[in-house]
Amino acid sequence: MSNPPIIPALPRVSQYGVAPGQVTKRAAELPGMTSVMLAELYPDSPPAIYPGAEDVSVVRKHTVSALKKVNMDMIGPEQSVNICASHHGFTLLGGAPYAEMLRTVRDEIENRTGCRNIRLRAGVGLRFRETEEYIKSFGLDAYFGKGKAKGVAPIDEGIPIETEIGTLYGIKAVYDADWIVHAHNSDVREVHFHRQVDRAVKPFGMSYARIETRSTYHQNLGPRGANFTARAIFASDFVQSKFAFAAFLDMSPVGVIGVDADNDLYALNDRLTIAGCRHYGKIMTLLGEVDECIAVLDFPCPVPYVFAAGVIYANFAGANTDLFDLDMALPAYTWYTEAFYGRNGPLLESIPPVNPAIKMCVHNYAWGGYPSAFFSERIPTLVVGGEQAAVMDRDSQNVEYMAHAMIAKNLDSAMHFAHAASGTDKIIVFDGAAGGINVSTSLAGLLREKAPGVGRRVDGELLPKWLRQRGIDPMTALG
Amino acid sequence: MKTITLKARINSARCIGCGNCAKMCPTLAIFMKGKKAVVDEGRCLACANCHQRCPVEAVTLEKLDKPFTVRAVTRDFEREAVEAMCIKAGFNPGQILCYCTATRAEEVAAAIIQGAETPEEISFRTGLRMGCSVECIQPALRMLEAAGITPTPPEGGWQWYGRTPVLQEISQEVKSKYNHRGFYFDSDIALFAEVVKSERR
Ligand code: SF4
Ligand code: SF4
Repeated sequence: MSNPPIIPALPRVSQYGVAPGQVTKRAAELPGMTSVMLAELYPDSPPAIYPGAEDVSVVRKHTVSALKKVNMDMIGPEQSVNICASHHGFTLLGGAPYAEMLRTVRDEIENRTGCRNIRLRAGVGLRFRETEEYIKSFGLDAYFGKGKAKGVAPIDEGIPIETEIGTLYGIKAVYDADWIVHAHNSDVREVHFHRQVDRAVKPFGMSYARIETRSTYHQNLGPRGANFTARAIFASDFVQSKFAFAAFLDMSPVGVIGVDADNDLYALNDRLTIAGCRHYGKIMTLLGEVDECIAVLDFPCPVPYVFAAGVIYANFAGANTDLFDLDMALPAYTWYTEAFYGRNGPLLESIPPVNPAIKMCVHNYAWGGYPSAFFSERIPTLVVGGEQAAVMDRDSQNVEYMAHAMIAKNLDSAMHFAHAASGTDKIIVFDGAAGGINVSTSLAGLLREKAPGVGRRVDGELLPKWLRQRGIDPMTALG
Repeated sequence: MKTITLKARINSARCIGCGNCAKMCPTLAIFMKGKKAVVDEGRCLACANCHQRCPVEAVTLEKLDKPFTVRAVTRDFEREAVEAMCIKAGFNPGQILCYCTATRAEEVAAAIIQGAETPEEISFRTGLRMGCSVECIQPALRMLEAAGITPTPPEGGWQWYGRTPVLQEISQEVKSKYNHRGFYFDSDIALFAEVVKSERR
């Protein structure tokens, strides 16, 4: 059984990466590449609404329907509402589904409450203009009206928020309305950070937060305790006095599976925690079975965030450990782990090595705008093209990335070198292929062989443990 | 430590004088002269904040003819004090505090011992916060606190507002209320203690 490769996510015009025209060849075009569909590996995968038979308007239908169970009575016609969004949603399936959900949430608030002062506040990671780029490319500035759609960054003016653990700080513009609506998605993405604990709440401690708060998360509260940062802010009287409801693009490794909305963010959080552990848990555990490979980065995102089968490269770099297992303090990669690498190696014996299955990394297309030298320092990395190397060299967060990586003239020469140096013919491509994963034939065989056993282990052994660790009873959470 | 290869340049004709760049610059390298922003080139360490947030895109980053490196080096007679300050602040001296520049705790301690009294001065002497400028403000404040220094935020600036809680300060009441949700507070406290105690550097 051999499927053709899936068409990868297109390169994007962005100041954080090379111009799309400079991405002259995608890894999916390499000889011997094939794809494995996730529904084939895991027939219990939920059906995707997008991509599928319908265009992106299917997201509108599902958003309208999900919002029917949400109470909006607190919003008065003369009041103001901030729809709070994050960059991450725009990286999913090209961004159109998330943009459509945002438009629909806006329209439904207006239709149901008569409120017209509805704004978009879109937070970022560490690329402070990233959501400004998305706002423009999806026409959200025109859709929300002049001056109403705004990208916000953690270095913008802040406000103090009093919480149960002391003062934390939010971005002023996020909270400058009578009401806020939390518009996010359930894609798990950074499991190495959030460990699927309070995943739905996280933006309150991250993309809606000031530097002080984000630094608290990544430096003060520990690899698991950090996840309390967001809950502390969300549970504060200040945020509770403004929070109206949440709307989430419901994601699974296969794509968008629906829209979930609730006035109770914790209830929504429990639902998506279960689904995330179950579906992403299987794929991540399966990728942990890969014994050796060349990883190719080929997606419009910073190095750690390029996607394959809904899993990001940062998580593949830690796939030799169980990222969902909270009894394990430090994954192979997370910022606390990185912090605990001393001048002469790890400060603790217990720090696991970066996934030894990754024999080589070919950086065919990935952005700067996120500190990534950890990866090039520990995984032999070939960067395709001098222009891409220059992007990393000019990036204040990646001054040392190229000190550890080599430059290849083009993708073919990079792959030739990678095969010769690593001795493996297994290739995994992080290119955002929808519904499946682009791999070499040899790796496709391994994934098919291992998938059923991994599925049984996750359902029977790991999932119950993961949920117990998070205090979630699936019977109660799913009603 | 950071090697600086770029510097910020402001296009005065474009600048509308909003002052945002001056409020965000972590080394206080920008000041307003009348209604225009001006970069003190001797203090710019190319974090790109001004370039990234100027509302009219009036800032460019230009290549330096002569790149240079900023770092604070511990002198032999400072070694003991450096170690003590890091440990008091809850850090292993060899651990990384700034993920963009790989600036380590011992380097920040050395900068403080050698005279840095604010996060801005630490940044200027070590390169800490000169990448994303987001994630390492708390370690800078914690290290200053361990040195007995309480800095005040730059007046009218948004560079930073205050020190926030550390794990060890979370009350038993809060821990008991939330621990069953997977926060593992006490295990992480033990992990931090182990890192601080480690003799590896
Ligand atoms: S240090 Fe950063 S914010 Fe300050 S002038 Fe230089 S690039 Fe701009
Ligand atoms: S942010 Fe831009 S417009 Fe505002 S003062 Fe600085 S250079 Fe001028």
